[in-house]
Amino acid sequence: MKDIEYNEAGQFCSGHNACAGCAEALSMRVILNAVGKNTVGVVVPSCVAIIVGAHPRSSAKIPFIHGLLESAAAMASGVKRGLVSQGKDDTTVLCLAGDGGTYDIGLQALSSAAERNEDILYVCFDNEGYMNTGGQTSSSTPLAASTGSSPLGKTTRKKNLVEILAAHRIPYIATASPSHLSDLSEKVTKAKAIRGMKVIIVVIPCLPGWGIADDAAVKVSRLAVESGVFPLIEVEDGLRYSINSADKTKPIDEYLDLQKRYRHISDSERVELQQDVDDSWDRLVARTKM
Amino acid sequence: MNSQPSTLWTHLSSETNHTGTWRSALPLYQNQPSPCHGACPVGGSIATWIKQVKDGDHYEAWLTLVDNNPFPAIAGRICHHPCETACNRAEHDETVGICSLERFVGDLALREGWSFPSPDVELSQSVAVIGGGPAGLSAAYQLRRQGLQVTLFEAREALGGLMRYGIPSYRLSPDILDGEVARITAMGIDLRLNAEVMDEKALTALHKDFDAVFLATGASLPKELPGLDYSQSFVLDSAAFLADEPEAQSSQTGEHILVIGGGSAALDVARTARRLGRKVTVLTLESEGHLPAQQVELDEASEEGIEFITGAMMQSAVGKDGSVTVHATKVDFQIGNAPGGFTAAPVAGSEFTIEVNTIIPAIGQDADLARWNGILNTSGPVINISGAHGKTSQPGIFAGGDVASMSRFVTQAIGMGKEAALGIVATLVDDADVVAPSQEPEVLLDRINTAYHVNHGRNTQGLAEVASRLETFDEVQQPLAPAQAQSEAERCFSCGTCTLCDNCFYYCPDVAIIKLEDGYEIKTDYCKGCGLCVAECPTGSIHMQEDIAS
Repeated sequence: MKDIEYNEAGQFCSGHNACAGCAEALSMRVILNAVGKNTVGVVVPSCVAIIVGAHPRSSAKIPFIHGLLESAAAMASGVKRGLVSQGKDDTTVLCLAGDGGTYDIGLQALSSAAERNEDILYVCFDNEGYMNTGGQTSSSTPLAASTGSSPLGKTTRKKNLVEILAAHRIPYIATASPSHLSDLSEKVTKAKAIRGMKVIIVVIPCLPGWGIADDAAVKVSRLAVESGVFPLIEVEDGLRYSINSADKTKPIDEYLDLQKRYRHISDSERVELQQDVDDSWDRLVARTKM
Repeated sequence: MNSQPSTLWTHLSSETNHTGTWRSALPLYQNQPSPCHGACPVGGSIATWIKQVKDGDHYEAWLTLVDNNPFPAIAGRICHHPCETACNRAEHDETVGICSLERFVGDLALREGWSFPSPDVELSQSVAVIGGGPAGLSAAYQLRRQGLQVTLFEAREALGGLMRYGIPSYRLSPDILDGEVARITAMGIDLRLNAEVMDEKALTALHKDFDAVFLATGASLPKELPGLDYSQSFVLDSAAFLADEPEAQSSQTGEHILVIGGGSAALDVARTARRLGRKVTVLTLESEGHLPAQQVELDEASEEGIEFITGAMMQSAVGKDGSVTVHATKVDFQIGNAPGGFTAAPVAGSEFTIEVNTIIPAIGQDADLARWNGILNTSGPVINISGAHGKTSQPGIFAGGDVASMSRFVTQAIGMGKEAALGIVATLVDDADVVAPSQEPEVLLDRINTAYHVNHGRNTQGLAEVASRLETFDEVQQPLAPAQAQSEAERCFSCGTCTLCDNCFYYCPDVAIIKLEDGYEIKTDYCKGCGLCVAECPTGSIHMQEDIAS
């Protein structure tokens, strides 16, 4: 019995500079193998840019163009249009960015590309903060999580990017987790076959940024899914929601307790976080029935 | 495009960067013993054969089983299964039904007629095995496998010992026993039935004629209950009762039988008596929850209408006109600190009487050691053996089973027979291939990633209807159906035994694991030592070891 299976075609190489145990490198491996050889990559400053690697070395077996933090989706749009004008309609453009380059600094470019329904596959590695620069708060950082710039815990909620993108009515939005690699691989394969704008948001527990052990990224992401903190979902045409993981089966405690960024929270904050997860889950379930 | 200087383009792979130098620890693939294996009296490689069942390789599973125990169909029925008590799955949902799986494979082997291969070589060394019970047969089997010449002396007319004369057929059908014994005798054993080795002189002669002797004469003397006159006709010996045919059992017993004792033998007597249509009461010194019999036996006995009086002691029994008045008292039963130790002080004012017709005490058996006086040290309750291999004080004489152990379990005797045989082989045969048991630590639950083991309750064996049970001596426990057995095998965590699930390969962020045909290899140039492969291993068959060489 195989618990996991994805196509391993050698599209991602050893020797990259991700931290030991990094779930983002693990997810990259799955995504690059699923998306295949006929792909051009676009990457902006983020951990992904480090993992792809600095000139003259690359961990990816496809070409990557490195651009500016605020313009990931715009650059990917341009690359796609350039390829089409050369008659290379079937080449996939894969745009990789972190949550800083997606939720915050690149949001305008992302929104514009979504509004134009550009034919790109945009993957956001969501480690809930500016982890590459030492761990500062982004608009993806959840309530109460501490970072270098919110040492007492963030006072505002995590921005809901899925709902923002759904409002653009793009053909495909999905969330994925490095604990569910087969699911991630299937979602990339599915997205690649869809014409128009596709966005996949992958939860990435950052080892130093979240304060977790070197071997615990998969465990923490699995708990994020099982506790309903980060449900695995798909949204088609911005309207049809579906949940791809089993029911929410666990309270958030085990998830929180594995992370140093939640170490300071009070019992009342814990209750508040659990309530928020429960409410979000109920809203999500209600959406799947609409 | 070609006019651009090539240095603008990335042209090297990250593989030139040897990230293995970052590492301080390296994963090591290593199969390690499971707790069930450690608890198993025969050292039964349980995770290995259950994996073979899981893979549909039933014949291979049987071969693994019979490496350590020639009686899987018997052990699958009557073993006290300390393996299941040790099973890591208990905390997840329920323990794996190891016995029921063992029975499934053992029964399949008998149906298919699988036999033991002849030894690779015939050796000249000869061994006398005294006693054809579980220990003696197990030793004879292991010795023949290694090519030694075995002569087996059995006092009774048939082989099996306690398995034949002590365990009723509703727990172990005689067909099963005959089948598994016949497979051993077919290996070429010089059988001497009705050949009791009577005394020290006879043993000394065998010691001289053979290169080694294995003594497994069991425990044949009943322990006697103080306050009970064994010469009275209403008192029966439990071992003799169990060995008798139903007609004889019927003719010797009255309408209401009092069985004294809380172990398996007492329950065997009680349930046999129920099948003769008798009213049965069991009186035990131990209080409820502390009876030495297995819980499943107690449950089945209660279903069959047997009454229990626990935490009580018989004080006297007075017979008159075919009826017996038993005077008894409740006791304050307390478990002691030493294993098996207890205290049981009578509770004043709690005296009571029961009217019965027959009393069958079944409070245990002692080994008959007096006859070995002069050749072996017989000062203790059992023959004193040293080390794992059953060596007695007399070089060349080995002992095992109930004559050398107080534990009184069939599978314990089978394991002792195996170990003694290995000891004999190591002593007699130069360059003998005797594998020492693993000293590796057992794989405990903290090393199993239970996320990969979906909760699923145990597949339980069916039981015969209570009404039909009492009419026959047919087996009560029904075998697992093939689909149930498959499902049960899949519940096994395979603790410490790699199942080639590929999780480690797929979860490596550094693409530093290579799949081989029968395992995996770490690319040490790239492994950063994160330990994700270990954390995501469903079987606990990888662990991190310090690595300072890089």
